[in-house]
Amino acid sequence: MKVFITALAFAAIAASVVAVTLNSIQEPSSVAFTTSGARVGDPGNNLIGPS
Amino acid sequence: MPGSFSIFKLAAFALLLLFAQPASAQLSFKPTAEAVQEDKLLNALKEGDKISGRISIPDRNAANLIQPAGRDWRDFHRGKLPWIGGIAILGMVALLAVFLMVRGRIRLQRGFSGKTILRFASFERFTHWLTASCFIILALSGLNVSFGRTLILPLFGADAFAAMSAWAKLAHNYLAFPFMLGLVVMFLIWIKDNIPGKVDIEWIKQGGGILSNGKHPPARRFNAGQKGIFWIVIIGGALMSVSGWFLIFPYLIGNVTELQVWTVIHAVIAMLFIAAMLAHIYIGSIGMEGAFDAMGTGEVDVNWAKEHHSLWVEEQQKKAGAPSDRTPHAVPAE
Amino acid sequence: MARVKFLCDADRCIECNACVTACKNEHEVPWGINRRRVVTINDGKPGERSVSMACMHCTDAPCAAVCPVSCFYTTADGVVLHSKDLCIGCGYCFYACPFGAPQYPKVGNFGSRGKMDKCTYCAGGPEADSTPAEYAKYGANRLAEGKLPLCAEMCSTKSLLAGDCAIIAEIYKERVMKRGYGSGMWGWKTAYSDSPTG
Repeated sequence: MKVFITALAFAAIAASVVAVTLNSIQEPSSVAFTTSGARVGDPGNNLIGPS
Repeated sequence: MPGSFSIFKLAAFALLLLFAQPASAQLSFKPTAEAVQEDKLLNALKEGDKISGRISIPDRNAANLIQPAGRDWRDFHRGKLPWIGGIAILGMVALLAVFLMVRGRIRLQRGFSGKTILRFASFERFTHWLTASCFIILALSGLNVSFGRTLILPLFGADAFAAMSAWAKLAHNYLAFPFMLGLVVMFLIWIKDNIPGKVDIEWIKQGGGILSNGKHPPARRFNAGQKGIFWIVIIGGALMSVSGWFLIFPYLIGNVTELQVWTVIHAVIAMLFIAAMLAHIYIGSIGMEGAFDAMGTGEVDVNWAKEHHSLWVEEQQKKAGAPSDRTPHAVPAE
Repeated sequence: MARVKFLCDADRCIECNACVTACKNEHEVPWGINRRRVVTINDGKPGERSVSMACMHCTDAPCAAVCPVSCFYTTADGVVLHSKDLCIGCGYCFYACPFGAPQYPKVGNFGSRGKMDKCTYCAGGPEADSTPAEYAKYGANRLAEGKLPLCAEMCSTKSLLAGDCAIIAEIYKERVMKRGYGSGMWGWKTAYSDSPTG
């Protein structure tokens, strides 16, 4: 039983670590699609909610 | 002089007449001779191809004007896939139910001895339960994407179902990583005991003894059925991992047509994988008396071990230095 | 109730992007989301044609069919809309859409791409018509005010037509007859398989 609970806990913690890591490197489309020629100040929040 | 002025006007008027011809009748070139025609482009498309062009924005996906393959993808996901999944999974459930009714629970022929032998160390059990628990959530959340809208949404209403599905999707995306880790560790710790051998051929020839009482073909640590499950998990899991990796990092491919292929692989392998795991869960829980202990506590009854993994018990007892106490019975020549 | 559609007359489109600008301005579309875009086929070669593309509001919309949470709905006018409250950002609609209409606030998927956004035919969404709540989620609702989509209204050459399908199909057919050529009703065969010519 102890081994099983440990496995569940490990899975949950690993998933959370992955979530935090991936979300920190995920780019909003306003950043991903900014080119050197485009100067984007405030990309806007309408339609996509607060970032 | 008034005369020259009127000659200029006349000349100008004549020039005008020379060039002012009805456009359609007299043009020597046709302005639309090489114009792209949507019909021609659509008919020229091969399977999976797209009509695309030049765009002025950074999002490369926007260059695809029309991708008709999306229609085929939709037909597959709402048409064929539910049948594949339904037949595989419900078919397996039905098969297992019939097996339980006909064969019953596979009992220990000589009863429990009360003495146990260590089958799986705690690290092995940890790896198994890590992979298995992730698999359960991954399978359920995945099935929710394919079937939830038809089976669960009508029961709970749109808002509750969407909220649950959002969490399910997050769980699916993030638990995939510990699942992949579990797969790798499982492969490393158990590959050496899962190489197919002659004992397995004999075991398969006797049907594993699964259908008849009293037949217990010898087996090493893992019998042929278990080796089959191992390879299904490793290969199926690898396919799920690779396809899933491309779906969670779509910019690696960036091409919607390729991503469609990977979703099909991901979905079909998932249905088959789930069906196979149902059989594994069955035999490891209610299907066979004494089997669950192997993963539950790690210790199995010696009689159980002798009946189902006789060669393994001998190896273990030799290692421990204990005198072999097997009853004389035919062992296939190695 | 009329069934409304878009029709882009590629032989008139000059790639001015007024439609894109109008849409971006009217709905305050954030940078990176492209509800409408102009694609140029055979750019620089003879026979180059530009097509303005956004959601085509298909009959039997594939996005609606594949959505795991069934967040799409079609209005009486034939406009395909969706609920951002139900959307889980899985991206399935993007795989199914023949026209690449679904847009997402985040790239790379990971946990979620965020709530899908797309052209609404200037018809808003499930929120109450012409409220700030609807504007914040779905943009302006011109249809509720009896107006047509702004992209078609702002088209500098009247190549992008929007409105009742019979009327705009008729306009296009008149043009094709008069000038003697037409590169096709782009997307109609794919989007409106039940009525590909109006």
